[in-house]
Amino acid sequence: MKIKINGVDKTLDVDPEMPLLWALRDVLGLTGTKYGCGEALCGACTVHLDGHAVRACVTPVRRAEGRAVTTIEGLSADGSHPLQQAWLELRVPQCGFCQAGQIMTAAALLAVKPKPSDAEIDQSMAGNICRCGTYTRIRSAIKKVAGVPDDGGNQ
Amino acid sequence: MPMRWVLFVLAVAGCGGKQQPPTVDRGALRAVGPSELRTVADFDVVGDRGARSRALFGEMARVLTHPRCINCHPNGDSPHQRMAMELHDPPVVRGPADNGVPGMECTTCHQDRNQELTRVPGAPKWHLAPLEMAWVGRSIGQICNQIKDPNRNGGKTLEQIVEHNGHDELVAWGWNPGADREPAPGTQSQFGALSAAWVETGAECPEESR
Amino acid sequence: MTLPLKLSRRAFLAGLGAGLAVGVMPRVGRAQSPSDKKAAGGLAPHVLIHIALDGTTTIVCHRSEMGQGIRSSLPILIGDEIGVDPKRVVVRQAEGDKKYGDQNTDGSSSIREQYDSYRNAGAAARMMLVAAAAKRWKVKPESCTTENHFVLHRPTKRTLAFADVVEAASKLPVPNKDFVLRPFSELKGIADPKLPLLDGLAYVTGTAQFGADVRFPDMLTAVIARPPVVGGKVARYDAKRALAVPGVRKVIEMPVPKPPWLFQPWGGIAVVADSTWAAIKGRAALDITWDHGPNASYNSDAYREELLASVRGKGTTHRDVGNIDTAFAVAAKTVEAEYVVPHLSQMPMEPLVAVARVTKGQAEVWAPTQNPQANRTSVAALLELPEDKVTINVTLLGGGFGRKSKSDFVVEAAFIAKELGDGQAVRVQWTREDDVKHGYYNAVSAQRLRAALDDKGAVTAWHHKTAFTPIGGTFNDKLDTPAADDLMQGVTDLALAAPNVRAEACKAPLHTRVGWYRSVYNIFHAFAVGSFIDEIAHARSADPREVWLDVIGPARKMSLAELGIPKQPNYGETLDKHPVDAGRLRNVIERVTKMASWSNRKGRALGLAAHRSFVAYSAVVVSVVPDPVRVFRIDDAWISMDAGIVVNQERVHSQLEGGLIMGISNALYGGATMTNGATDQSNFRDARVARIRDVPHRIHTDIVASTEPPSGVGEPPVPPVGAAVANAIFALTGKRLREMPFAKALKI
Repeated sequence: MKIKINGVDKTLDVDPEMPLLWALRDVLGLTGTKYGCGEALCGACTVHLDGHAVRACVTPVRRAEGRAVTTIEGLSADGSHPLQQAWLELRVPQCGFCQAGQIMTAAALLAVKPKPSDAEIDQSMAGNICRCGTYTRIRSAIKKVAGVPDDGGNQ
Repeated sequence: MPMRWVLFVLAVAGCGGKQQPPTVDRGALRAVGPSELRTVADFDVVGDRGARSRALFGEMARVLTHPRCINCHPNGDSPHQRMAMELHDPPVVRGPADNGVPGMECTTCHQDRNQELTRVPGAPKWHLAPLEMAWVGRSIGQICNQIKDPNRNGGKTLEQIVEHNGHDELVAWGWNPGADREPAPGTQSQFGALSAAWVETGAECPEESR
Repeated sequence: MTLPLKLSRRAFLAGLGAGLAVGVMPRVGRAQSPSDKKAAGGLAPHVLIHIALDGTTTIVCHRSEMGQGIRSSLPILIGDEIGVDPKRVVVRQAEGDKKYGDQNTDGSSSIREQYDSYRNAGAAARMMLVAAAAKRWKVKPESCTTENHFVLHRPTKRTLAFADVVEAASKLPVPNKDFVLRPFSELKGIADPKLPLLDGLAYVTGTAQFGADVRFPDMLTAVIARPPVVGGKVARYDAKRALAVPGVRKVIEMPVPKPPWLFQPWGGIAVVADSTWAAIKGRAALDITWDHGPNASYNSDAYREELLASVRGKGTTHRDVGNIDTAFAVAAKTVEAEYVVPHLSQMPMEPLVAVARVTKGQAEVWAPTQNPQANRTSVAALLELPEDKVTINVTLLGGGFGRKSKSDFVVEAAFIAKELGDGQAVRVQWTREDDVKHGYYNAVSAQRLRAALDDKGAVTAWHHKTAFTPIGGTFNDKLDTPAADDLMQGVTDLALAAPNVRAEACKAPLHTRVGWYRSVYNIFHAFAVGSFIDEIAHARSADPREVWLDVIGPARKMSLAELGIPKQPNYGETLDKHPVDAGRLRNVIERVTKMASWSNRKGRALGLAAHRSFVAYSAVVVSVVPDPVRVFRIDDAWISMDAGIVVNQERVHSQLEGGLIMGISNALYGGATMTNGATDQSNFRDARVARIRDVPHRIHTDIVASTEPPSGVGEPPVPPVGAAVANAIFALTGKRLREMPFAKALKI
């Protein structure tokens, strides 16, 4: 199967039903996308498929055939994506494990809604779990990138 | 009490605003278990054409109001899940096009078919029924009239409804929900046949108030 | 190795230490040489510090990074004391080795227990550099200091770069006493409120290396089918279909553990494959019949009744002041209540995982572990190797919360690697279901509290009975009652003004594996005490804040006699250094209620609770408003903590935010239950946790400025939260929730 991954054409010779997550991690060595639950409940595996957020742990590789996949590694060449920069400025991560998924979901949101309301942020981010409790900073970082006022937030 | 009244009552039984399928009758209609759908022939005992039509819809309603189907016909912004019709978790919302919001679109998680090991249910074009097709909190009479109304059924003719019921891939999911989920009663093919028979007998609806 | 562009040199070097970019073999380096003044090519005054001839300073982080920020704090503290230029510092993660001292990252202890030794280590390095420079300048060492990788002679402003004196310094004796510490105000790095995250760029670019990110060419992956019930084992199995799954290479029988469980692996059948997906599919194709063993009759519902019966009966007294019976006999009013908290699961975002390879005579492991030395001992014992032939490399942890301080998952990997042999690398991957179903859960508990009030509403007697499955039972299967030391977590270190107090530990035999979960027994003790004080306030129609202060009593440091206990383990600290200080507890209550405008409570639903844990003091106010679908919503929260001297304020604020959210999660959703011995929950669908919509838009955090010795930071934010939420819900709805998870009672 031919899939464009982070701008590079790849040919994957795997079971078409293998979840994209394992193709990315085990076959291609792109370990930035994480395994957190395996059942689309936590969002740690979020990647973009033709710009739309999908959960790689349940998306069969065949769904990506002929299409473009973007992982956290492909969001920018060097951490310069505005969300990545905001995440660093506000020191959002604690353990860091969920953050690639959080950023990819936030990127999908901002691509469609550059200035989301509080409700829209919570609705789009509702599926991404953080056990360390960085939610308030995630909201603030998204608002920072969106350029909307942050009357709540931390840091 | 005249037989027709009995059958009329039986046909609309169980639709007093509650999401319960019509009560399995103890009289004229053949007794069936909860997972079996009656066949069209089972309704031949209902002599009056109108009453038979309503009774056929009552049987179709056992499918429509089963959680596998009604969970995606909510009257609010969130689908339901499981037999107890809990609100979908992870929390998701309808969105402007009935298919979620950025980052949490239906197809962010749901694929074109059931994922067995990862448990996520799937079918082609997974999405929410639009709000005008909300069934939760409606009586079977109300659901029936909605289904018949081209302004509220996506512009379908009765023939198209029969085709939809009997062959649509997303509708099909109700009988093949994957994992350990209880399917809707009967089969899609039976449901299609009941739908055809309902249309053929005049597509009558039970009273909305019951 | 592809490097991100525009990476600062420090971050680049740190990145090499923290984790390698994709595709590169992890280094298995020899351990840093011990503090030997003749260390080849540089100054090594302490096991955590090495200054190379060119001045590059390597600081070892010997504690595990699991989000608490130790990698961003400890090296800065030591570096501040030395006087480094942060851009010249490389941080190296320590492997498990006794020479590093205690590496068990648990109990909120990394700063609290070792603060002095870190500063002394940094001071020793500075003193040696200063001595060498002073000798060269022929000046007094006292006239010199260090700053920004230079030694500075203050009167003349002459400087010498570290690189210019390090060789001379390395020939000097290493100080082991009379350490000259910098004034605290000179520790610039740790005081920086905007201190960056050491691994921040790695986290946000996906290059950070967690356990499952360690890769080797031709590495295999194993997934294990473990017995559903603790103490169960395989009765018989058929691996035919599993072996037929493409990619599956081997099926291995895991060793059967014998009680007491300790941290032994669980047993079961492992499927080894060339990819994670094949291993998962292979395991699903196993046909196993289990012998569930003696705990198969364990049911949470029935056990809950057993615990309640236990606390309604007599226990062993561990705290005794005055005579509660006399006081209750003449009480004007009695308040009593029972509180229940189920087993709780740690559920870090990163499920358990470990990578191992074993050759004849040597073993290497990579794991997100909180306790690498314990891992080393267990693996060495399993493989019958001397410990110095076993290397435990510590990766970043995607959360720990206590689950990753047990060696079970590491020993499993070593066992399978041994079975495969020949240095074949294997990753043992736990699925989320494995994590939820095979846990070392926080103890399940029931408590009964009774208070006698006089006609002015003052508490004249306080009687607390607690039954919970003690962690000690994991080590000694005859243990069925909490010990006196267990009650130090919120029962015997609770400041009370009441002249009559009794606390009893009641029986609670174990049928599950029990372990530590962020703040441990404090979770349920603080929930009960914090709710109970609120219930007393409402029984008196009094302001809960005033009642809290009355119940605690005046500011004072309580002696053992006043506490009514013979001894106080006090989290490993002396009572001299860390007394039970009622004044500090009152202070955080006063601060947090002021932050929350407590006196302006009309029309708002606020809940207050406070707690002492890990020798720190924390107080929380939560505000709730009605929600049409989910009964209530937390719209605001405040938390104040006194943890003495803190290092890296920025990370302490994040611990306050995160701990408060974890407390919300426990209260609303926490609970692992068992039916016929097997855990009912499986994944985040039924082992629910707080999501973004469960938290208010802002968590107002307050760190008390203090010169007291450092206290714990990672756990103390959690305990008061459950009661604060329950008290707020009571204020809103009049419904008193005495049992977690609240979602069950509220049906949300």
